[in-house]
Amino acid sequence: MVQAKSREQMVGLLAIAPALFLILALTLYPVAYSIWLSLLEKHSFFPQERFVGLENFFYLWKDEEFWTSLWLGTVYSTWTILFQIILGVAAALILNESFVGRGVVRAIVLFPYMIPTIVAVILWKWLLNDTYGVVNYWMVALGIVRDPVSWLGTDHIMLSVIAMSIWQFFPFVLLTILARLQTIPPELYEAAKVDGASAVRRFIHVTLPQIRGILFVVILLRSIWMFTKFDTVWLMGEGAGAGRFIRTLPVYAYMRTLTYYQAGLGAALAVIMFAILIVCTVIYFRMFREEADIG
Amino acid sequence: MNHWPRRWLSTRGLLYGGAALLVLQAAFPFFWMISTSFKPPVEVFAQPPSFIPDDPTWDNFHRLFTATGFLTYFWNSVIVSGLSVLLTMIVSAAGAYSLTRYRYIGREKIAGLILCTYMFAPIMVVIPFFILVKKVGIENTHFALVLAFTSFCLPFTLWLMRAFFATIPMELEEAALVDGAGRVRALIYVVLPLALPGIIATSIFTFILAWNDYIFTRILITSDELKTLPVGVQDLFHSSLIDWGLIMAAGMMITIPALLFFLSVQRYLIRGWGAGGVKG
Repeated sequence: MVQAKSREQMVGLLAIAPALFLILALTLYPVAYSIWLSLLEKHSFFPQERFVGLENFFYLWKDEEFWTSLWLGTVYSTWTILFQIILGVAAALILNESFVGRGVVRAIVLFPYMIPTIVAVILWKWLLNDTYGVVNYWMVALGIVRDPVSWLGTDHIMLSVIAMSIWQFFPFVLLTILARLQTIPPELYEAAKVDGASAVRRFIHVTLPQIRGILFVVILLRSIWMFTKFDTVWLMGEGAGAGRFIRTLPVYAYMRTLTYYQAGLGAALAVIMFAILIVCTVIYFRMFREEADIG
Repeated sequence: MNHWPRRWLSTRGLLYGGAALLVLQAAFPFFWMISTSFKPPVEVFAQPPSFIPDDPTWDNFHRLFTATGFLTYFWNSVIVSGLSVLLTMIVSAAGAYSLTRYRYIGREKIAGLILCTYMFAPIMVVIPFFILVKKVGIENTHFALVLAFTSFCLPFTLWLMRAFFATIPMELEEAALVDGAGRVRALIYVVLPLALPGIIATSIFTFILAWNDYIFTRILITSDELKTLPVGVQDLFHSSLIDWGLIMAAGMMITIPALLFFLSVQRYLIRGWGAGGVKG
């Protein structure tokens, strides 16, 4: 009997082993390795390496570009997160009401989140093209601006990449909040209506307490993902000549590794990013302890 | 009493107005992509722009298929995404089955660890991953890509599959065992069919992630003939003077498979979403 039981255990462990191996070898080990790498001076392609201790971090501390990228990354993530949440919740409230064609609208609204980033980027570069873009054409035609705006130029590229990222990612918030809204018992609203509560009051007193837990999780996930967002920002900045003005921390880490081939510095940037995320997550959990329990 | 139709109208109006705006912002860029992809070069740059091409042509698609490496990229994308889905499904189904059906020390810890890795963003993993892959000597292979996508999807797919397997009553399986079926047969004939929605949902997530990925492919693949669509199309975009009609045709051809998969699984989506969501 004991033998049969331990055999059962063996089968169980054997079944989880491949998954565990892949996660340990291909995710956790690389992350641990990048901490080690951040202490080395290493070319990205050649095997030579030299232990330099915390020198990479000291270098970055005095590196103006690092502080700029930290600032740009903060600007980018703050605005994109804020508007994703506002638009996502508002859209979820609309799509939770019943109206003709709701199913189709729900499907269409998720499109931008499902397409490859490269498609979203070329699409927006075409829409925002300064000479032939349809956005400029309309804005001039409607008299909003007198001359076409260089949306991908140095002055507006941050605005453009923020707008485009909100467009691309708010459907995630929408879908998650919508899934939660559907589980709120209608009786709660009936009761509030009987009490004569206005739509705004119903939102504050009925809806908001119900979605607080999931909102806590969504804000956390979106913050992590926006702060580490690479492809959207990198692809938007590429080739436009104004990429320097949206060089966020992930983009800077990538460039250190694959443009300057300084893998040690690239890894140090990744470690800093990771440290910032952990600190912010802990503070976030402390600040919203109550919500953390519900979520 | 005579106030209410007007109020009803205004809230209804707001609702439909909001819904219309939502559809417009999501659909217009796609409409514009489709429209541009059917325009001849002269019309692409016409001012004012025409919404429906005056002179629609397949020329952009024709050039895309014959004059660029598009078909190679497409085939690579299919292979890599397909293999990633296959590997992810096998590994995560086995793992999830183990996590719900067997008792062993540290089981809950393993589940927690898996969820934790869900927080790692690609940019934090890909730099050391690239260097390790070079050390092992599998850089510039589809194999490295498949491994990357699989390990990147696993935390989510395992978590989701675990949720699905947990809803399948153990008694069903035990009944099959009593009837003389082996464990493997019970798994194939009883558990897997019931877990099918979960398997479909997770495979679609993996497919879309692999299909859409840019960063892993950009870093791990250097030969042109091994590139997948997103990287191949980006290079097309940067190669010379931008040929917008051609690029929009390429964009459409990448989007269609992703959207088809998305639409086919849409009804499982909300369910899966509650259990973990998609990365990105």
